[in-house]
Amino acid sequence: MSEPLLNVANIETYYGPIMAIRGISLEARQGSIVTVLGANGAGKTTILKTISGVMDPQKGTVTFDGQEIQRQDPDKVMRYGLSHVPEGREVFPLLSVRENLMMGAYTRKDADGIAQDMELVYTYFPVLKERSEQPAGQLSGGEQQMLAISRAMMARPKMMLLDEPSLGLSPRLVKEIFEIIVRMNREQGMTMLLVEQNAHMALNAADYGYVLEVGRIVMGDTCARLKESDDIKEFYLGIKEHGARGKRRWKRKKTWR
Amino acid sequence: MDRNQGSHTLAGDTMSRMFWDGVQRRADRVILREKELGIWKAVTWREMGEKARQVGMGLIAMGFEPGDRASVLANTVKEWLYADMGVLGAGGVCSGIYPTDAPAQVEYLVNDSDSRYLFVEDEEQLDKILEVRERTPCLDKIIIFDMEGLRDFSDPMVISLDELLALGAEHASKHPNLWEERINCREPDDLAILVYTSGTTGPPKGAMLSHRNIVHQCSNATRMLPQADQDERLSFLPMCHVAERVVGCYFSLYTGTIMNFVENPDTVPENVREVAPTVFGAVPRIWEKFYSAITIAVSDATKLQQWAYRTAIGIGLKVADYKIERKPVPAGLNFLHKIAAMVVLKNVRKMIGIDRARWLVTGAAPISPDLIRWYMALGVDMLEVYGQTETTALTSIMPSDAIKPGTVGLPVDYGEVKISPESEILVRGDYVFMGYLNQPEKTAETIVDGWLHTGDVGYIDNEGYLKITDRMKDIIITAGGKNITPSEIENQIKFSPYVSDAVVIGDGKKYLTCLVMIDYENVAKFAQDKDVPFTNYASLCNTAEVQELIWGEVHRVNQNFAQVEQIKKCRLIDQELTAEDDELTPTMKLKRKFVNEKYKDLIDSMYKAA
Repeated sequence: MSEPLLNVANIETYYGPIMAIRGISLEARQGSIVTVLGANGAGKTTILKTISGVMDPQKGTVTFDGQEIQRQDPDKVMRYGLSHVPEGREVFPLLSVRENLMMGAYTRKDADGIAQDMELVYTYFPVLKERSEQPAGQLSGGEQQMLAISRAMMARPKMMLLDEPSLGLSPRLVKEIFEIIVRMNREQGMTMLLVEQNAHMALNAADYGYVLEVGRIVMGDTCARLKESDDIKEFYLGIKEHGARGKRRWKRKKTWR
Repeated sequence: MDRNQGSHTLAGDTMSRMFWDGVQRRADRVILREKELGIWKAVTWREMGEKARQVGMGLIAMGFEPGDRASVLANTVKEWLYADMGVLGAGGVCSGIYPTDAPAQVEYLVNDSDSRYLFVEDEEQLDKILEVRERTPCLDKIIIFDMEGLRDFSDPMVISLDELLALGAEHASKHPNLWEERINCREPDDLAILVYTSGTTGPPKGAMLSHRNIVHQCSNATRMLPQADQDERLSFLPMCHVAERVVGCYFSLYTGTIMNFVENPDTVPENVREVAPTVFGAVPRIWEKFYSAITIAVSDATKLQQWAYRTAIGIGLKVADYKIERKPVPAGLNFLHKIAAMVVLKNVRKMIGIDRARWLVTGAAPISPDLIRWYMALGVDMLEVYGQTETTALTSIMPSDAIKPGTVGLPVDYGEVKISPESEILVRGDYVFMGYLNQPEKTAETIVDGWLHTGDVGYIDNEGYLKITDRMKDIIITAGGKNITPSEIENQIKFSPYVSDAVVIGDGKKYLTCLVMIDYENVAKFAQDKDVPFTNYASLCNTAEVQELIWGEVHRVNQNFAQVEQIKKCRLIDQELTAEDDELTPTMKLKRKFVNEKYKDLIDSMYKAA
């Protein structure tokens, strides 16, 4: 088997004295969608920030495309072909949609390529074309999310890190965005690392998944198998047996198998 | 009776008379504490007596007859003891069910014990019995301790503990003398409690313990393991196990030792530190955990701290060895030990929570002698005891003034122990149980001519100490015809902080092999320190580095054994097991028989021609 595009080994990252991720190893193969599931505060965002260089790990290595990139500046990491779509979208509100997209292509010199990619992005998200001259701050939440994803695409990365694209969106929009994420993966061969709380959507979109609990991975398997796990069903998908009384409050013990 | 003795211990030839004597005599003293919303709340003898009486009278009001049985399905909580004393006081028989048991096991135990009443802890345990109650025709009523989440639930068969207590209070006011009558309706030779032992073959067997068994053990063993009403202990092992029920709770009731009930099994380490018990009994698994926590903490400490720890423990071990050889400790060494204790060892004891402990007791499973020496080096005596459910928990006790690690102490002086021609340990005395419930043929096999056949192999050494070699059926005979006692090898392997449990295999095989269950926390830390990538338990077990680490530990142990007793191959169990799994006993030991079946393929892979 070929080397994975992204390989994270034993990273430990701290917020001051607090160890937010306690030794995480994961990998993403070229062309796959990998998801990391976990509750609030499990350390999902910290993983992405550590990979993209926003945070520095105390320990461990991040290898991207055969090159060690841990503890490097985010702009450098981005130039290696790793684009980060941050949680909460973070578009430039006063710039127009078009200018926002151009910011995504800031490091690129090939005007032709940029123009092509702009068109490509517009085919995935036609609504952005309609609003290309509007300030991004006037877009709806869903449109801003689309813009954030598109902006990351504009760098023509080898891989995208997506931090909770479903955050604060209506179920219909979540579905739409996930469909496009999957299409981008299939059509562009874009490798993606997707961090999500919406386990249902993430497990359907991704090929492989990891489950994160208080800074440690407790499970890693193909999404097809994760969906069959009793723990995932009960704690992430909200499917549980109701027992003899039809009203069960107690939780089973997690075994992660 | 000696006046001093009288103030410390109780009178009464049945458990219920003894308990009620305590309620009268120690009325305002504290009997137990339980942590409630972060605060340790005390319960006095009078309060507990009242609860027990109301439970008992409530049951009587519902038609409970002397000799009727009740079961308790709960973790180690104070209500367990209220139910127990209520049932016994009402003249009944009380049986325990492990809270980790599955519905099918609950069904079996309720039916086998013929329980009319079942106490359950909460909705989780309630659901188990509701699932199977169509098949438990003997059951009349279910009583729930904790009604959280059940406010809207109603079922004619189910009542809450509070309702039962109210019913009992009302019944008691109408029949003022009935409770005393019921307490006195049982005699020493009547059945008091049922303790189910997990048979490695077939379903569990209900060991019948009489009032005489219990009282005999309480009044005598507490001479050897002295404790009194100033003492504090922790209640945390399963109450269904004879160790917690008799040695823990009943000994405490007899002597007045205060029982502190832990919040839940996961908080034991914190609760030990909070309570700082003065007397502390536990199973080897717990002692191993404390030891490995300290070992790991030291490996993370500064070089100076590591040096200080090694030096201090070194001095402590030397002192321990003098003590074990029963020689006076040289003055110079004694002085050094005082300094080591002041600077280092006392802090280690505090970190564990055993700084106030007068003695530690270990039992229920074999323990490595090195571990006993380590605790002695810290300055606390660890006394190994040996016994079985069938002898009401204790058969031999280590004397604190003449500790001999590697043996299980001296047979208790209030019973007899002898070794059969087949080297089996046989026991006779008032603590030998009445037999197995509903299994006369099993009983007849176990008690022959008044002697209990323990199934353990061992001998008595020249000083009278009992040494256990192994379980009779666990002895491995290799294809070469060599008899091997696996537990000795396993204990040494388990001494490693990276190993949680190990099972040696090789019966009828050419050589010995071994299955190892790793200690997840410590091995994960090892992997992280060594930059070994892993994602979860299974992938951790499957990394070459971890397999080498464990093999290194096994290899080190091999050096202490003769060629034929050495482990040739080992494999790791790559699934994290919990008490709910069949492979583990509720005290988290691997069950040899289950392991042999379940991991047959893994075992076979170690015997394939290379």
